Amino acid sequence: MSLRHVFESQPDRRYVMFGGKGGLGKTTLSATSAFWLARQGKRVLLFSVDPQASLSDIFQRDIFGKGPVPIMENLWAQEVDADRRIKDYQEEIRKKILDMYGFEKVPEEIDNYIAAASAEPAMEESAIFDAVVDIIVQGDYDYYIYDLVPLGHALYYLSMAKVYDEWINKITKLRADMGQYDQVAATMRREETVQEDAILSELIYIKERINASSRILTDKARTAFFFVVVPEEMIILDTKKAAELFAKFDVPLSGYIVNRVLPPDLGAGTIPPYLRNRIAMQKKYLDEIKGTFGHEVLAYVPEMERDVTGLGMIERLARRLFEEGS
Amino acid sequence: MADAAKPKKKGGILGVFKDIVYGMSSHEMTRHAVRTRASMEHLFILITMGDLLGVPILPPYYSLRLLPYVTPQIAGWKRRMLRERDVTDVLG
Repeated sequence: MSLRHVFESQPDRRYVMFGGKGGLGKTTLSATSAFWLARQGKRVLLFSVDPQASLSDIFQRDIFGKGPVPIMENLWAQEVDADRRIKDYQEEIRKKILDMYGFEKVPEEIDNYIAAASAEPAMEESAIFDAVVDIIVQGDYDYYIYDLVPLGHALYYLSMAKVYDEWINKITKLRADMGQYDQVAATMRREETVQEDAILSELIYIKERINASSRILTDKARTAFFFVVVPEEMIILDTKKAAELFAKFDVPLSGYIVNRVLPPDLGAGTIPPYLRNRIAMQKKYLDEIKGTFGHEVLAYVPEMERDVTGLGMIERLARRLFEEGS
Repeated sequence: MADAAKPKKKGGILGVFKDIVYGMSSHEMTRHAVRTRASMEHLFILITMGDLLGVPILPPYYSLRLLPYVTPQIAGWKRRMLRERDVTDVLG
């Protein structure tokens, strides 16, 4: 089984994500896969919601907050500016209040609340995942490659989504019950039936958005989630833990990609003891990876002789990863 | 002629009768329904806008979506939530 085989044998899995600790090469692998898929004639959107996104770096151009930017034929890249999104959203709420009640300005107490809401830590996660739903529901692309924020954030959001969902269910039920009391009072007074409840419609909308965002991460038919791992002890331990947690949240794991593998010919001839030790250590951890993740490993990606930035390097890596086998 | 007027009169009596029955039975129930509805409204705002009192319950990103709809109720609601119980609660 190889990465190429996963893409070719499961064409419905159009939401592709690379997860792993920071700095392991998620962006590199996302960009390389996006490049290869685009070359196969698929329309690909590679996007990131990380405020410290690296897509601008890997493609060597500033794309932050500029919407989907064409990189090459069939490939677009997008970096979502979460802060600006929150600001726009707050402005939208203020405007809605002014429009609904014809106020000159938003009442101070309400305005303070709107301003304070952006300071809540959950605000950013929610805004980020809401942005992802926006990007995906538009459905303009064959593949959506999500250069995922580090694992902790994804797990935090998934657990949050579960709690939110239960809360929203409760609130929606309360709201529906309130509607019934309205109805009872109206019937007894022999009045016309009550108006449709705008709040109930909003709640239903919110519920659908939250479900949609967690579904993107957990849709077994359409999501492919890859773990990026490097042959180092702590990373292996962390990845094992994360894989268990992800499984709990029903994230469909498609396999592991081992990055930063030192080229085997490096050990030939006389080499300094430092390098020899590093090679021996890596071999030990590679064996451990084989033992732990076994046939779920889809690729061993070599450590390149220079940073993977720019389309030229991405193309070279794509050839190594998808054409030459690994 | 008298026959035609009769049912009309009957309807009038029936109407008065209905109102009396409503007043004796349903009015209290209606009042109860309206009051329950009002309590639920406060509970609803507490759940969705709890942040205003320092009780974060619904994630702010989504509670902001509901804020415009409950803006007029916010002032009254805060007063109700924060005040001491007093004799008007019994009368209210």
